[in-house]
Amino acid sequence: MQPILEKLLEIVNTVRDNKGLSKLSDLKPDQDLRTDLGFDSLDLAELTVRIEKEHGIDIFADGFVLTVSDILAKLAK
Amino acid sequence: MPDKIFLHDYKTGKRYSYNQLLADLNALSNLERYCYKQDLYTIFLTIIAANLHQIALVLLDADFSYEELQKFQINATMLAEKEHVVPPSINSVDELVGRLIVNKDWELTLFTSGTTGLPKSVTHTFKSLTRAVRISSRHAGDVWGFAYNPTHIAGLQVFYQALLNGNTLINLFSAARHTVLDFITSFQITNISATPTFYRLLFPLTELYPSVKRLTSGGEKFDGALSEKLLDFFPNAKLRNIYASTEAGTMLEGVGDIFVLNDENCYRIVENELYVHRSLLGKGDTTSLEDDEWYPTGDLVELIQEDPKKFRFLQRKNEMINVGGYKVNPLEVEENICIHHAVKQAYVYGKPNILLGNIIIADIVSDAGITEKELRDFLQSRLQPYKIPRIMNFVSFIELTRSGKLKRT
Repeated sequence: MQPILEKLLEIVNTVRDNKGLSKLSDLKPDQDLRTDLGFDSLDLAELTVRIEKEHGIDIFADGFVLTVSDILAKLAK
Repeated sequence: MPDKIFLHDYKTGKRYSYNQLLADLNALSNLERYCYKQDLYTIFLTIIAANLHQIALVLLDADFSYEELQKFQINATMLAEKEHVVPPSINSVDELVGRLIVNKDWELTLFTSGTTGLPKSVTHTFKSLTRAVRISSRHAGDVWGFAYNPTHIAGLQVFYQALLNGNTLINLFSAARHTVLDFITSFQITNISATPTFYRLLFPLTELYPSVKRLTSGGEKFDGALSEKLLDFFPNAKLRNIYASTEAGTMLEGVGDIFVLNDENCYRIVENELYVHRSLLGKGDTTSLEDDEWYPTGDLVELIQEDPKKFRFLQRKNEMINVGGYKVNPLEVEENICIHHAVKQAYVYGKPNILLGNIIIADIVSDAGITEKELRDFLQSRLQPYKIPRIMNFVSFIELTRSGKLKRT
């Protein structure tokens, strides 16, 4: 797995673990953050803060992200 | 009236007609005094029945914990109490509306974040609750997207606006984005009232939603850029911005972020803070009244024109943190964190967040090696989900002010 995807998986799992969901072993680019990862608006906000802490990028700063690949695109910029 | 839909709830997949509502009301002979329920239809039915029979009702959030209820001095016996009533025989929605609106003094109590760390109760009468409701044949065809918590003031006002006009309500509260967008089209929703956070989470939008005539925004700071983006996709919608509070209900309607102070008997601005006359307030157990006449809202405003007075809201005077339209008192959260034996000190604050307005952060001093997850689990049984800090930083000390208080910026 790419390091950036691995780091994202770790952050996603922290948010899932905090809300009592099982940890995932893998992330796929087309996974929807809400329907596939089970994130509500509070979880998405937590995710953005944790990603910002790690990468210094606010993924929602310019437009909205729906899927794992949307996040990866923002981090690749 | 043919079998018009009263409520469609995506959570249960159920649809209730007005005829069903009337039949259920006509069959009820025992009414609760406390409404502590999950199901939206049951909550609405309980409110309507209490209103109809003039039995004072206390509305409790379904996610209040038993610890929280104990603090309000509500116990299991009280929750189970029932009042016997003679079942009515109501034949039409018009008759129902007619019988509801005469009970102007009927009382409904709800809870809101208090300034002292404990949610406080506010008791409204039917009259104060429905002050902003407009009943007219112009509204007969409205279809409402219901996007607020039903046990909070904004949800109650949308509920009454729809019910008293015999409108259909489509539950959108906490619904997934694609469900909201599907329902706007399939039910031809005409009116939505929601927080800026709700609207923000609908993006990215790709289609047009021409059925919507009105988008109302409230509960959080007005977001001008968002409003402009919304109009691109809701081409027939008018936008309005509402200022309301649990204590007083809907108070003012703004154009963009500008409000006109049109009635100086009801509102006034003192040292940049908005005050409301007591005649507009529900009865509160801890509502502070200066001079017993005027209530300080805690909202600071900027006067931008005299005569007529125009102003815009700047910020809260007190420390409430607005999380997606929910007001969180950091003192309440700190108090609950400090109950945990491993915590020595806690400091809770809001960090600006583009999705929710603010996100709750806690700095925690602990020397017993507790994890973020353990503390979150502990808080789960004590606090409503939106009050629980989403990020916890374990720190070695927390800066205090000279008077020994937590330093707040």
